Amino acid sequence: MRPDASKKIAAAAPKKGPNPVIIGAVIAAVLIVAVVVAIVLGNSGKSTGTGASAQPSGAVVTDAGGILANASPAKSNAPTLDLYEDFQCPVCGQFEKAMGPSIATMVAAGDVKLIVHTLSFLDDNLKNDSSKRSANAVACAADAGRFLEYHAAVFASQPTQEGLGYTDAQLTEFANTAGITGPALTTWQRCTSSGQHAQYVLDTQTAAEKAGVNSTPTLKLNGKDITKTLTTAESLITQVKLATK
Amino acid sequence: MDLQGGGRRADFVGLLARLILGVVLIVAGALKVTSPAVSARAVNAFQILPYEVARYVGYALPVVEIVVGVLLVTGLFTRLSAAVGGLLMLAFLVGIISAWMRGLSIDCGCFGGGGSIDASQTRYLADVLRDTGLAACAAWLVVRPRTAYSLDHQLFG
Repeated sequence: MRPDASKKIAAAAPKKGPNPVIIGAVIAAVLIVAVVVAIVLGNSGKSTGTGASAQPSGAVVTDAGGILANASPAKSNAPTLDLYEDFQCPVCGQFEKAMGPSIATMVAAGDVKLIVHTLSFLDDNLKNDSSKRSANAVACAADAGRFLEYHAAVFASQPTQEGLGYTDAQLTEFANTAGITGPALTTWQRCTSSGQHAQYVLDTQTAAEKAGVNSTPTLKLNGKDITKTLTTAESLITQVKLATK
Repeated sequence: MDLQGGGRRADFVGLLARLILGVVLIVAGALKVTSPAVSARAVNAFQILPYEVARYVGYALPVVEIVVGVLLVTGLFTRLSAAVGGLLMLAFLVGIISAWMRGLSIDCGCFGGGGSIDASQTRYLADVLRDTGLAACAAWLVVRPRTAYSLDHQLFG
């Protein structure tokens, strides 16, 4: 009788490796989780608002978007200035202090066609909603014909510490500063509290990203990014003059 | 198998490679996973992928980084997770070097943040060196996935 070798054979056999079915299932599960998370998050970014009807007055109907800040038409040979800002961006606050008055003067004289794109990406960085709320509020002010006034009031009261944001009371105070009164104030309040231009605000952010604008402030003169060339208000005025045909 | 000499030392080199790559991936993913929109914009700022694709990459990346990082730290499916981690590093290197050569001034957003920054604040060289080192860790593990204290060893022998 031959000795029983089954134990030796079992010991010599390669250890049972992992079940390939289990490995495959784990890998598939990981990939599915990642893809599902990406799609869920991707769609949550595209929250729906009240639709196309909620364009603020003065909204530029192009892919680039933005609000035309000129109260009366600019001169026919005036160049176009596209300004991308987030109300919570401290550098935008500094920019407004340095350049804001000169830009407002040029706009009032019709020397430049100013299109302001109020961005809101800093909400995601700062984890609040002040950029979106203030962008909606300034769009409501555009409906009241007080866009630049409201815009200036927000930047004039920008918190010294980035991230503190704006309270609803402050947003109302800015409306007073901007000269929105009486029935116009009631309309503004309804527009602000209902987030009437919320979708417009999101669309403005998306349009800016598609246009490659990923920081604020960004200033484009006739479509060309001139942000880095600006040192003083004078340098902006000079460039605008050069761009005037 | 030689467990006393070089083999055992190499197991510990592998352990070190696993922990370095895994921990960096977990940290990078964790810093971004709570702000997916910021991550999406950071990817978009590289101006390589089309806008919609960049969005989804930005959303998925932190999750993938955390999953691969946890697998590496625990030593589960080491060769596969190191291969994925290594491919991620190669993709990051391509993106960073491409942005550098095109003269963009962006933060890679590797550990959150991202987007345009002042030209003087860019640190492409440091990013490239870091990711090259991490890619080397991944390469070691793909070539020699056997490491000390791994779940692979505990579960599959």
